Amino acid sequence: MADSGELRKRTFVVTRFDPDKDQVPKTQSYEVPCRPEWKVLDALNYIKDEIDPTLSHRWSCRMAVCGSCGMNVNGEPKLTCKTSLAEYGDTVEVAPLANFPIIRDLVIEMDGFMEKFKAVKPWVIVAKEKAAEEGTYRQSPAQLAAFKQFSMCINCMLCYAACPVVAKEPDFLGPAAIALGHRYNMDSRDEGAPERNEIFRGEGTVFSCSYANECSEVCPKHVDPAAAINQSKLLAVIDWATSFVVKREK
Amino acid sequence: MTRPSDPQAMTPSKPGRTRTAPPQLPDDFWTRPRMRTYLLFDATGIVYLLVGLIALRVAWALADGAPAWDALLQSFASPGYVLFHILALISAIFVGVRFFRLFPKAQPAQIGPVKPPPPAVLHALLYAAWGGITLVLLAVFGGIWP
Repeated sequence: MADSGELRKRTFVVTRFDPDKDQVPKTQSYEVPCRPEWKVLDALNYIKDEIDPTLSHRWSCRMAVCGSCGMNVNGEPKLTCKTSLAEYGDTVEVAPLANFPIIRDLVIEMDGFMEKFKAVKPWVIVAKEKAAEEGTYRQSPAQLAAFKQFSMCINCMLCYAACPVVAKEPDFLGPAAIALGHRYNMDSRDEGAPERNEIFRGEGTVFSCSYANECSEVCPKHVDPAAAINQSKLLAVIDWATSFVVKREK
Repeated sequence: MTRPSDPQAMTPSKPGRTRTAPPQLPDDFWTRPRMRTYLLFDATGIVYLLVGLIALRVAWALADGAPAWDALLQSFASPGYVLFHILALISAIFVGVRFFRLFPKAQPAQIGPVKPPPPAVLHALLYAAWGGITLVLLAVFGGIWP
């Protein structure tokens, strides 16, 4: 065990919201003795365990895989389990992810995000399923490389909290959903690109993106949603143009 | 610490089981370095709008004949216009550099059998085209060529 000399007192200014009592979110400060190796999540867990058991926050895997612990730390969307306290000074502000309705304290409403995900048909679409006896679908390393980067998303929603278009256009599908749609469009097994491109050509999708690139800057898994969105713009236009030449079955 | 963003941002189509607080934005989001750069990029749109209005004025002067054209050229020598054109040049360079930086990753990995060149080659091509077109325009409008 480290002795107390290694501890550093930090003030955590945490957003609090109780749907039964509060009209709007407020903040509450906590003094936390932090160990040097702590992440922001460790401090939140300390507050919950030792100071104020009423604090609500989401977390699970503690190793940047589950995507549950996304919050705004000093105004930047971060995975709190991956964000070292060494990056911060004596005061750390922790707020729920920006641009999402708040259920309680640091917990945000995810249903709107899940609806946007569903809208891009995030599954392999084929005209006719292969029979089991025909064997597995095979892909070359090059075919896998075409979409692998975009399949690394952990649905942490940091990109939605960073996106300036999400903040002002509620109908915008948003970075993660479009990146996921693009991931399936680039998959050699998939035949659903025309369906998704039709969605992408609609209102509030790829052409609403102003290429601020904020989503890619904050992505903890380097998925690069901004690249996916802007590649989708060109592919959606090419798909529209070829639809006049190549007849498609409905 | 925070301010409301669009009240409908990321809300589900059906109301949730508990009452929620409206979505929030960091109060000082626009002061963060990356966001500041993006807002500056957006603000250059105002400069281009003014450049467009000046272009209309140029067309107007052309239609009004030689005296109007001479008066226009004289007004372009005023400090205000010179400063504005320097601002327009800085805006164009700023937007160009940003566009060239982000352009390579906006290219699909493959369109049919065609693959884009590596990002470094794309960058070099873009800057070469920019430099080349600038030189040609300078030569034409400077009376050196053709």
